[in-house]
Amino acid sequence: MKKEFKVSRSEYELLKKLARIGIEEADIEELARELGVNKSTLESLLRLLAEKGVIGIEETEEISYSLTNKGEEALSQGLPEEQLIDLILSGTSSLEEIRSKLGNIAGIAIGQALKKKYIMIKDGKIVLQVDPDQAKKEISNLKMILEKIPEGIKEVPKDLLKRGLVKKTRIKKERVKILVPLDEVLDNVVVEVSALTRDLIRSGEWRQVALKKYDITALPPREYPARKHYLSEFIEMLRDILKEMGFKEVEGPIIELELFNFDLLFQPQDHPAREIHDTLWIKEGRVREVIPEELLDRVSRVHSSGWRYEWSADIARRLVLRSQTTSVSARILVSKPKPPLRVFTLGRVYRSDVVDATHLPEFHQLDGLDGDNAYTFRDLLGVLKEISERLGFEIKFKPGYFPFTEPSVEGYVRLPNGKWLELFGAGMMRPEVLEMAGIDYPVGAWGFGVERLAAAYYGLTDIRHLYTKDLRRIQLSKIKL
Amino acid sequence: MPVLKFKIDYLLKNIPYADLETIRDALFRLKCETEILEDGFLEVEINPDRPDMYSLEGLVRAVKGLLGTERGWSRPSTQNTSITVEVSNVETRPYIAAAVVYNVNIRDDEDLRQLIQFQEKLHDTIGRRRRKVAIGFHDLDKLPSRQLYYKALRIDEIEFPPLGIGYAKKASKILVETEQGQKYGYISLKGELHPFLLSGSDVIAMPPVINSNITRIEVGTKHLFIDVTGTNKEGVEKVLDIIVSNLAERKGASIGQVQVLYNGAQTTYPSLKTVETVLDLDYVNNILGYSLEPHRAIELLGYMRYNAYFMEGKRVRVEIPPFRADYISPIDLVEDIAIAIGYEKLQPRRPEKYTRGQLLYKNEIKRTLRDLLVGMGFTEVMQLSLVSPDDVELIPKKPIFIKNPVQRDYSVLRTDLIISLLGVLRQNQLLKKPVKLFEIGRIAYLAENQEIVEKDMIALAVMDDEMSIEKIQSPLYTLLDILGIEYSVSSECTEQIFIQGRCGSLMLGNQKLAEFGEVNPEILEKQNIEYPIAYANIDLEVLTKWSSKTLHRQ
Repeated sequence: MKKEFKVSRSEYELLKKLARIGIEEADIEELARELGVNKSTLESLLRLLAEKGVIGIEETEEISYSLTNKGEEALSQGLPEEQLIDLILSGTSSLEEIRSKLGNIAGIAIGQALKKKYIMIKDGKIVLQVDPDQAKKEISNLKMILEKIPEGIKEVPKDLLKRGLVKKTRIKKERVKILVPLDEVLDNVVVEVSALTRDLIRSGEWRQVALKKYDITALPPREYPARKHYLSEFIEMLRDILKEMGFKEVEGPIIELELFNFDLLFQPQDHPAREIHDTLWIKEGRVREVIPEELLDRVSRVHSSGWRYEWSADIARRLVLRSQTTSVSARILVSKPKPPLRVFTLGRVYRSDVVDATHLPEFHQLDGLDGDNAYTFRDLLGVLKEISERLGFEIKFKPGYFPFTEPSVEGYVRLPNGKWLELFGAGMMRPEVLEMAGIDYPVGAWGFGVERLAAAYYGLTDIRHLYTKDLRRIQLSKIKL
Repeated sequence: MPVLKFKIDYLLKNIPYADLETIRDALFRLKCETEILEDGFLEVEINPDRPDMYSLEGLVRAVKGLLGTERGWSRPSTQNTSITVEVSNVETRPYIAAAVVYNVNIRDDEDLRQLIQFQEKLHDTIGRRRRKVAIGFHDLDKLPSRQLYYKALRIDEIEFPPLGIGYAKKASKILVETEQGQKYGYISLKGELHPFLLSGSDVIAMPPVINSNITRIEVGTKHLFIDVTGTNKEGVEKVLDIIVSNLAERKGASIGQVQVLYNGAQTTYPSLKTVETVLDLDYVNNILGYSLEPHRAIELLGYMRYNAYFMEGKRVRVEIPPFRADYISPIDLVEDIAIAIGYEKLQPRRPEKYTRGQLLYKNEIKRTLRDLLVGMGFTEVMQLSLVSPDDVELIPKKPIFIKNPVQRDYSVLRTDLIISLLGVLRQNQLLKKPVKLFEIGRIAYLAENQEIVEKDMIALAVMDDEMSIEKIQSPLYTLLDILGIEYSVSSECTEQIFIQGRCGSLMLGNQKLAEFGEVNPEILEKQNIEYPIAYANIDLEVLTKWSSKTLHRQ
């Protein structure tokens, strides 16, 4: 089997260029210059090729010498000790005078001359100790070496390096060596590409190239999809369930007359739930709605005889933020619909609660009415059972108390964690309620708070998360399949 | 809902042959949720329709009935006392009833605690926090005189030692200085006059505020004198009946009658009034969807402590005992029969009739809009509709404030959805731009004539590094194009929200359907938002009306 060389597109282009200029071995820097490419790009491509055994890269170190500033000075003005000898030859011998004339090189000049035993110092005077010609010859030998440095020499006396006249530098060189004949490589090369492109497809080149294998275990970045809010999804699911069960949706105002929020629901006007701690009134504003006198009369009569107090129409006309969507049910009853009656409403209600993990000042409620000529309490239990089963919950019933229903029932549903959640409040509308509204057939009523169920459904421990301001939480919210 | 505590030992002692779980189960069937507390108490949540269960005696009576160990109710033995209460005109709190219960025998602290719990819970519920009815318990043996007087007197002229304080104080001071005075002092005070109950010349109570220390009840008290005052005669009599008939359940207890003299008329209390009614079993069966025979109904009513008797055919005569405050009409007996049967034994019946379900047309439109907006990369948010007064200042609409808010942050209804969207955007400034979101919800405000306007709106917003009006126009126009709406563009817009000359409206005829523009940087600065935002809202009421009309034409 022939050996295959898998290379990237840019490695492939480089191999072709190398083959064209036909080299066996070259310095990378020079090669970059010759090919007219960036040195570091070339270097990394060559390393990739080296990994594949096509070429080898050899690293060498070269030493070169260069003159320092001091060296340049010595060459043009003479070495310090040379200048000292000239000064002595011109007749100066006083140490003091020599110091002042040579200036800052005096120290080096005297030191070097003493070291080489050209001079000696006696009674503050410098005296030559050798033949000046002999000394000058030695010095000019040194200068000859200095002169040759810019041309490049292999070795330099240590002394010159030590005196700081010459600097030694090490240069790293990389040489590339072709290990496998390039023609052979090019004959057996397979070009790998990382991305399939329109060009590859249009040119048909995709046939020649190989698509690089992915590291499929590497994790991709996550998306943040535009999403519907999970609470609204839950609410729509509830709407669908009720629609499927044959209920018709209705709605009503959130700012409501006490008449519909309380009185028609047989809540006496001095009931604790109608006190300041539990009911939210509005500061100002009015509604155009005219309440029929005949309705007020009926309400007055039923309240007075049922609860034994003097009922006030003024209280019934006050405006509240509705505390229950049953106010909508009351409005429906007053409109005297013909049986069978099957309606539901889903909307916001308002309470005097301080916000915490289990309380909100407002939440959604779902309220339904179900009535017909031979409608019974067992039919009502059947509807509750049906709704909870469609939600995926088991249900159990407990007697309860609401001013407007009798018999009253509370429906508890079993959550996935095994706990029972009090969900439904329900019951048969009291005869007093039906009398006030003017309905002559039995009606079952039921309702529940949406948020508490939604929180349980999504496994939230803090109900405030249903009204989050964190978009990421909405976008990455989990869906129950 | 009232939450009470009962000592488990006492419950078990009073309901022999039943263990705690049986008792808890019976209480569940009597509407009560229970929880076992660590200190040997059972916490019981009792519905406000059953004040007769607020004391151990009444609770035990109900449980024993449901468990079938006792049935019906028999009138306790009653005797005369020489006690009289003479009533003068007490304008603010005209009614008083009183009675004696012999051999109550407060044996220990738990007896006393339980009695006071009974009184407090009656005050809070049926007594409407003492406004309608208030109760005073006195040690009969400590009554200074058997001649009592109920009258209104000047608070600056009367003094007595209030309960818990050993020395006499001026009534005017008691109103100001005691906790009860501050809490309940306003209820029956008119000018300087306040109701007082005197025994001989001693004040024994200042209803509904506080009793005197003279007649205080304590461990060792044997017999009780009970006064009940209030603004509603029937309420006063009913509360006295509940208390007396409950305490009479105690071993050896009996009732002593008190004469109340008012305007020359004399009434004997307690009245222990029973109500008789005829229950037609067809009525019961029609409501429950059940078929009960009279003998079974009589048995079940007996478990619920009613006395019931055969009449002819399917009719039963029922005597409602005096402690049942919740009886209004025969429907209340139907529920008790259902409870006695057990709700778990009533077979739920599945809906059989076919009816056609339908959503509000407006909500169908909302669904469509939601789908389209998500498709265009907008994420839905949901925010509370109650906001802070600072938030509504941005909007040139008259807000609807709550008169009695709980928290300032939730004290006014939002007048525009932009309030909610800016709140969300402010917290998402670090996200990759553009940030696109929308909300569908209700706004409310007052029109010029003070009339309340409620509207469902849909609002969308885009936040980006650099803004151009097309970033909001494109999705808005695309949305309306897809819905086939033909709108006209107007350069009118709410300039307080938007930058002048960089906003506009879409009109459907002469109605404003939508408004859009770049949000005024002054608002952004106030909201601590550093990025430009474009915003649009669509009036769903206008859209719904328009499209339902169009559909009907087709």
